[in-house]
Amino acid sequence: MNCNSTASHSFKYVTGAQNAWDMLSEEQSQKHITTGSGDLNGILGGGIHCKEVTEIGGVPGIGKTQLGIQLAINVQIPVDYGGLGGKAIYIDTEGSFMVERVYQIAEGCISDIMEYFPCHHDKSSSGQENLQPESFLAGIYYFRICSYTEQIAVINYLEKFLGEHKDVRIVIIDSVTFHFRQDFDDLALRTRVLSGLSLKLMKLSKSYNLAVVLLNQVTTKFTEGSFQLTLALVTASRQHLRRGWMLARKISFPSRIADSDSWSHSCTNRLILYWKGNERCAYLDKSPSLPVASTPYAVTSKGVRDAGSSSCKRVRVM
Amino acid sequence: MRPPAPKTSAYSQQEPRPENLLLLASPRAAKLSLGCPLLDRLLSGGLPAASVTEIAGESAAGKTQLCLQLALLAPLSPHPSSSLFLCSDVPFPLRRLRLLAPKSRPDLLDHVLVAAVHSPSDLLSLLSRAQYHLSHPSRSPHPLPIRVILLDSIASLFRADFDASPADLKRRSGLFFKISAKLKELAHRHQCVVVVTNQVVDVVEGNTGNTVAWSSGRQVSPALGLAWANCVNTRLFLTREVDSNGGSARRHMKVAFAPHLPVRTCEFVIRRDGVFGVEPAQRLYTDTGMVSKRFGDLSEYREAKPCANHITVAVTTPSCSRNSPLTLYWIKSSSDVIELNMC
Repeated sequence: MNCNSTASHSFKYVTGAQNAWDMLSEEQSQKHITTGSGDLNGILGGGIHCKEVTEIGGVPGIGKTQLGIQLAINVQIPVDYGGLGGKAIYIDTEGSFMVERVYQIAEGCISDIMEYFPCHHDKSSSGQENLQPESFLAGIYYFRICSYTEQIAVINYLEKFLGEHKDVRIVIIDSVTFHFRQDFDDLALRTRVLSGLSLKLMKLSKSYNLAVVLLNQVTTKFTEGSFQLTLALVTASRQHLRRGWMLARKISFPSRIADSDSWSHSCTNRLILYWKGNERCAYLDKSPSLPVASTPYAVTSKGVRDAGSSSCKRVRVM
Repeated sequence: MRPPAPKTSAYSQQEPRPENLLLLASPRAAKLSLGCPLLDRLLSGGLPAASVTEIAGESAAGKTQLCLQLALLAPLSPHPSSSLFLCSDVPFPLRRLRLLAPKSRPDLLDHVLVAAVHSPSDLLSLLSRAQYHLSHPSRSPHPLPIRVILLDSIASLFRADFDASPADLKRRSGLFFKISAKLKELAHRHQCVVVVTNQVVDVVEGNTGNTVAWSSGRQVSPALGLAWANCVNTRLFLTREVDSNGGSARRHMKVAFAPHLPVRTCEFVIRRDGVFGVEPAQRLYTDTGMVSKRFGDLSEYREAKPCANHITVAVTTPSCSRNSPLTLYWIKSSSDVIELNMC
């Protein structure tokens, strides 16, 4: 009894400290944000995790923005229907966020909910009222930013904004590096600024219990006599190439990025999207708790879904 | 060295505020029509505002033609506007523009502002000046606000002055992002439709992650590599498919990627009066009887494809059978059929 009280007392000393058991049970009870694809959720351990930073990279047209929009919608699935019922912050640096597409994905999400919960929908007319694409649109706080100074300003402002909007459960930045790929002469400064931003985001994700998703571009790098694709602004000091992967893909992607690098350090999870022939695939490149894995997925008119559910393969060569 | 501070003075930097998507939806949805219902259907309404669209294709694929058409359509759109045509391929195709303009509306040419750009720095300074005009429409000498920016083409700006050395490639991609950020900023702040044309290069190395398509029997990719591909929101690819007899080429417009569109393709033709889509594999409907009757005595028609307001008919006529057996005719109204008989 006595011992117990001192223990709890010592916990209070270090504010916010938890023991591993509490953390584990909390993590197990935590709901994850579904990506819309069961396979993708599978390799991510149930979906996008709150309190973590997830980086998603891939070539143009692979579906990064689609996944970003999908997550901004899915985070709002009401608790009654197995969702988080939260709100989303979408920071758009590239202008690829199209409201008409968001509307479509919201409609797709609603129609899927209705399909999975037919009885629910019959019983609670009040819940049904809530499920309108417009209300999903209203649940996304959208920031369009046009320069890196604005990007820094918005991220600095997030703390205050999140304090006022406690229901935000996901922050999506599409894409995090676009404005930093312009004529930044001082590369050391750029690295410092970027890692400062990601540190800040990581802190926010912990303190407000939200998921941070950073979408990133890929770039071609000339190393070891061949062109390779790597994530933008990841200056790898040493690259461990996955041999089997290279052979299977014929291109050296994804290349393993050295963990000594400051930028890659700041992301808890890294998901890489790539083409495997005409099929979209996702590859979990880095995660503290999950094994490296890959799975196909698809982008349909309703949004991100499992591959094979419909004929949505891309015809690359006409 | 500190990075150069972007010029945001024109737009005062207050506390960032989220935009209301429900309010954004309506003006954003205003798209610029391509002047053909089929092509508009491919793009679900036309080219989106506040977004950068790339049109890539080999030479003579119809890129410039499409840009000229858009420039002439801008004043006729629901939000009448001028267009800014930034031309890096000299000379500006003025004759084609005049041919494209309907004879009844010579005033449309007044709303096409043409500027020549010769280098990336030239372009950036020009865009800054354009920004001034866009933010002060009242001071601009043009009656209609600029809402369409066309750049033809981005690749020719980078043809000179850049080696394949790593340092130059880095400098080049830095410029891509700078140009793209500027274009996107203008597009966003002033709800402009931005179109950038791009040339193609042959694919020599394996899959480098860039868009690949077959055109004229070659495997091609848009120029300027993956770095530039990251700079555009929507990529349209114009390809040509050469027939075995080498005669007529079938042209296709393909949505390579777009945030709001699935990957899909539409066949199109380039006529004297512009670029128009062709309905895939559908036969003549209502007017069939009339057309076949008209053609019956003169020649035989092979294929007839209806497009919303006109019909394409491929016919074999005695007069032109020696050189090219296949001639495309476009019929918009019954009076055209008589005209067709004349030729």
